[in-house]
Amino acid sequence: MAVSRTTLKSLYGVCGVVYRQPLLFPSSLKCASIQITRSKFERDYQRPGQPPDTRWPWQMINFDFSKGVESVRKHFGLLKDEFFQRWIGPEGKPIIEHMLEQTRVVWEFRGPESLNEWIVSSDQEIGGRSVAYVSLGKNNTTCLLYGTLSSTPPRDGETRYSGYCSMRSKPPKASFDRKKHYDWSSFNTLHLRIRGDGRPWMINVSAETYFSHQRDDIYSYFLYTRGGPYWQDVKIPFSKFFLSSRGRIQDSQHPLWLDKINTIGFTLGDKADGPFQLEIDFIGLNNDCAHTEEFAYELYKKNP
Amino acid sequence: MSASHHLLRLQCVRCVSHFLGTPVRQVILPGRAHLQTPGSQHIYVQLLRPFHRSAVCSTDRQNRTDIEKLVEDETHHKDKTLVTHDDIFDRAAGDSKTKVEFNRVVDVFKSKDIRRRGHVEFIYAALKKMPEFGVECDVTVYNKLLDVFPKEVFVPQNFIQRMFNHYPRQQECGVQVLEQMENYGVMPNIETKVLLVQIFGEKSHPIRKFQRIMYWFPKFKHTNPYPVPHVLPSDPVDLAQFSLTRIAADLDAKITIYQYPSTDITETGEEITRPHIVGIQSPDQRSLLAKHNPCKPVFVEGPYPLWLRQKCVHYYLLRADPIPPEEKVEEEIDPEMICPEQSLFFPQRVELDLNVDMGDDHSFNVDEVEEGAVYAMCMAGQGDQATLSQWISGLQETCPILGQIPTVFRLESGPRELQTSTDAHQRPEQEAETDQIIEDDEEPRHSRGVKQ
Repeated sequence: MAVSRTTLKSLYGVCGVVYRQPLLFPSSLKCASIQITRSKFERDYQRPGQPPDTRWPWQMINFDFSKGVESVRKHFGLLKDEFFQRWIGPEGKPIIEHMLEQTRVVWEFRGPESLNEWIVSSDQEIGGRSVAYVSLGKNNTTCLLYGTLSSTPPRDGETRYSGYCSMRSKPPKASFDRKKHYDWSSFNTLHLRIRGDGRPWMINVSAETYFSHQRDDIYSYFLYTRGGPYWQDVKIPFSKFFLSSRGRIQDSQHPLWLDKINTIGFTLGDKADGPFQLEIDFIGLNNDCAHTEEFAYELYKKNP
Repeated sequence: MSASHHLLRLQCVRCVSHFLGTPVRQVILPGRAHLQTPGSQHIYVQLLRPFHRSAVCSTDRQNRTDIEKLVEDETHHKDKTLVTHDDIFDRAAGDSKTKVEFNRVVDVFKSKDIRRRGHVEFIYAALKKMPEFGVECDVTVYNKLLDVFPKEVFVPQNFIQRMFNHYPRQQECGVQVLEQMENYGVMPNIETKVLLVQIFGEKSHPIRKFQRIMYWFPKFKHTNPYPVPHVLPSDPVDLAQFSLTRIAADLDAKITIYQYPSTDITETGEEITRPHIVGIQSPDQRSLLAKHNPCKPVFVEGPYPLWLRQKCVHYYLLRADPIPPEEKVEEEIDPEMICPEQSLFFPQRVELDLNVDMGDDHSFNVDEVEEGAVYAMCMAGQGDQATLSQWISGLQETCPILGQIPTVFRLESGPRELQTSTDAHQRPEQEAETDQIIEDDEEPRHSRGVKQ
């Protein structure tokens, strides 16, 4: 069912309403509460054994006055930037620079504040035993993602595989926490300078989608590390990224659209238990004119 | 039925007959299409099954194997308790868990009942037991397991059955067999396809999964620019050679084996095991080491981890600290050697990259990460200082400057970060306890550790 996310909010009153059974020991005063069963396509992962999160949307906002004053200043600063940056050019860069640039550095790890843009997660969220940490390397110049993988699955009866970790960038936010997207349409190659330990990683790029069933759409490709003390320059054209959803590669493939990118992430799940580490110097974009491939995989319908 | 359909069915017949070892005439497919004329439209589908008797009814009881007796005991003579199929695998195997034993258990199950009752649970249990028997990467074993399914029963016969996910539990079981093959990276073969078509039909979920595997696996098989073979060399010296050439990142680098692994028995009867020491150095590294300032120490750092599929090996580095900017010596470049006034007859650098246009600039606006130069790398059986000192003394034969440079050992018990720790300068007292400085003077072979 392809329902766009904006129209779903208006359909709250129209979707099927279900009367829940009164709780045996009601901690709150909602004895016969009317709850709308949101389809499982909307909810995030629910740990087996935990009750689903059936809070109303307004209950999920938490008011905090201590953050209020700083955030007011931050958001108004961002708003002012948005007003005045467009007179210089897109995203504050002069238009001639935006048109002629062939390389751009999007993430550079040169200080502790650069780590705040990244979220590190491992399979501790589903009950596994891997750990993953991120820290700065020598002289505060590179990002070091390290930890230990353990592929013993959690014993909750449902999960069969485990042993992964990932580092994902936070989606960009405009003033007042509105969604903003990266525009990488003038580039066609992703350039990374990394130093791994021989393990095969995976790069996941997530773009902005319209329909609700596309919420877990991720474009991925492999990042093979050589290992050793020397830095490795990895260049991956965006035409090589294949579409997958919830970890399953999809039959109908299409190329990644670069005009509204949300996040980029690195994940490791190579079933080899033990310590791992990945050092990233910078992540940049390149417009390689010699690369003319539009998409690496076939576009015809694969299951007629 | 079209001619191509005929051909496919005939091919299937031939494949299946070759696989099952039966003559072509005895293999019967639904519809008996090979007997029909191409022009006929309506085919009266009639399934013919050869008549079998169950093996249990056989009167010849003396020839039954132990496993069959075991299975019969469990299923017939017990007091109707729940029998898990895992137990059959465990008990039948005994001490040795090999492919032969696994195949035998599967054969016994197949011969026990023509209707294959409980085959779904049996297949799930077999899939779980495969890693214990060591057969999880064997496509013939998976085919044998798929053979447990009864053929042609689950193929949908009319449009209603095709619409409504015919025999969903069995289809899910077939998909799980293929999923385990996918997890272990096993490529299915033509027998798998024939079996799946026979069991589930052409448009079933297992066939769709098979098609996905056959589409994506070849695409991603050769994507690794630094491939690691599935079967790594078992000899530690060969493994060290392979991994050192991998991390050296320089095709000119040369490997030197300083010591082969050996065990000596001295006169007193003690065993001395000598570990292997394999080192690598490229000409660029050698020239860098020759230019190293003898007042500054070089560090032997390690062990650093390197993963090759499921195996982790460790290597050691000989490197120097980064030169601070005030001490950097700018190399004077002869203007005749570098363009634009480059000598045409002896060009130092020739740029013939056709990918790059005249105004193109593909460099990134980032500060370079300052790091010390790496002079050599090695892998050794043991990571203690004596072994690494042997490596250094072996290196000294090709790089005599090492005799004048103080060598500091920075070894830690476990694998750690690829860079020197940032606290190295802040904790000199603790380092003095762990580091030992060695100065090779007139005796290059004999090194003594001097504790500070």
